Amino acid sequence: MIKHERHGDISIIALDRAEKRNAMLPEMLDELKVAIDESADARAVVLVGEGKTFCAGFDLKACAADSSGETMRALLSGLSACVVAMRECPAPVVLGVHGAAVAGGCALLGGADVVIADKNAKLGYPVVKIGVSPAVSSPFMLASMRAGVVRSLLLDTELIDGSRALELGMVHEIVETADQVREHAIGIAESIAIKQGDGCFVTKRWLNEICEVTPEVARQGLDASLSLTGGEEERERLAALWG
Amino acid sequence: MTDAVLLEINEKIATLTINRPDARNAMSIEILDAMHEAVDSLRDSDTSVLVITGAGRAFCAGMDLKAVLIELSGDATMGSRLLKSLAELTLKIRALDQVTIASVNGAAIGGGCGLTCVCDVTISHADAKLGFPEVDLGLCPAVIAPWVVKKLGGGVARAAMLRGGVMSGTQAFAMGLVDHLADDRDRLAALTNEVAERLASGGPKALSVTKSLLNTIDGSLDETVVMKGAELSARVLATPEAQAALAARMKG
Repeated sequence: MIKHERHGDISIIALDRAEKRNAMLPEMLDELKVAIDESADARAVVLVGEGKTFCAGFDLKACAADSSGETMRALLSGLSACVVAMRECPAPVVLGVHGAAVAGGCALLGGADVVIADKNAKLGYPVVKIGVSPAVSSPFMLASMRAGVVRSLLLDTELIDGSRALELGMVHEIVETADQVREHAIGIAESIAIKQGDGCFVTKRWLNEICEVTPEVARQGLDASLSLTGGEEERERLAALWG
Repeated sequence: MTDAVLLEINEKIATLTINRPDARNAMSIEILDAMHEAVDSLRDSDTSVLVITGAGRAFCAGMDLKAVLIELSGDATMGSRLLKSLAELTLKIRALDQVTIASVNGAAIGGGCGLTCVCDVTISHADAKLGFPEVDLGLCPAVIAPWVVKKLGGGVARAAMLRGGVMSGTQAFAMGLVDHLADDRDRLAALTNEVAERLASGGPKALSVTKSLLNTIDGSLDETVVMKGAELSARVLATPEAQAALAARMKG
């Protein structure tokens, strides 16, 4: 479910479950974490998605089918672990959103150093609709974006497009069409990888230090999301999706 | 005071001009010492706005490469002295009662761009060049990173500093690095005057109390992180790789 290639100094990781719009399953997030950890010696990392969209979020059908809530719990924990791993990866991570990055898919932006998207891509966290709290993403978003924007994005179910995400500072560059995203993301990674010395690595480490998301705060976010898992509201709303 | 910087006071508005146009106003010890002295002298003045700008074509090209290149200066401690002085200068400017404006007339590069982020308001024009190309030379902009993060927010600052390079005034305006943008260089002075007059029309106490509160809330008065950043920048600057990249840049 994850495609991981190495092109010289660049590690290219792709979400590879195109038939399901790269919807996340727990095993997929485990694989993603492995791929990120294996990129520790790269000079730049690219994270993109195969198929028509970057990522539609958690596989809600799998969540709804598991009344124990275990699948949802594993997804939330796996997502948090992936975002932390992206931050801790020594090399800068360039994330390319084409088509859509929704809910859990959008949460991956919190771990990236450079985010690009196509101008019509749809981004957002419409998860309260299904009784899920996006609290897990909030520590990373607050470390990178204006607090007012974070509040409005996490509490509102509205999706915004790439152009608006650029204005809000959620995305750092946009391209015209979805099919340009992958190549452009790789181009940015190449320009980072060829820089001399280890200035980028030292700088990323320093930025992590001055915009720190402590493990305690990351854990608080995850715990807040987990506290609802398996509860009545979530079960009812998930079930209603397939009703 | 030498003529390394010019300080002009016109009623409520002080203007500090970095005056080393033949070196694109790069920060040497002489420039930094003169800037410290000028900023110190404002503490007892009756001004409420400080405009910082550059003489000639550039605003400030960053650290003086000739001074930090050890094979040229013959002084291995110069890099860390310059960075420490810059760190102290940024803290001093941030703590001023006066509202500070960076009027970016031309290139504001590396430490020069960091200087704009310390100011409360940045004004520039479409064709100016701003950016953080430190990583392109294997350097680390740690000393100014705390100010860039406060100005742009962590995410945008991260992308800008890790990608390196420079951008136009127009791009910097879109990113939030520049607050007011003139169409071209010729219109910058008028726009700067307009904004400076407007700021100076505010009550001096209201301005300084507000600025001081913002400094308290966003941690601007925490000297530790900026001084630690200066040490980290100096450490990277002294590495053989960084020195070789700088030498190549000087020749190229």
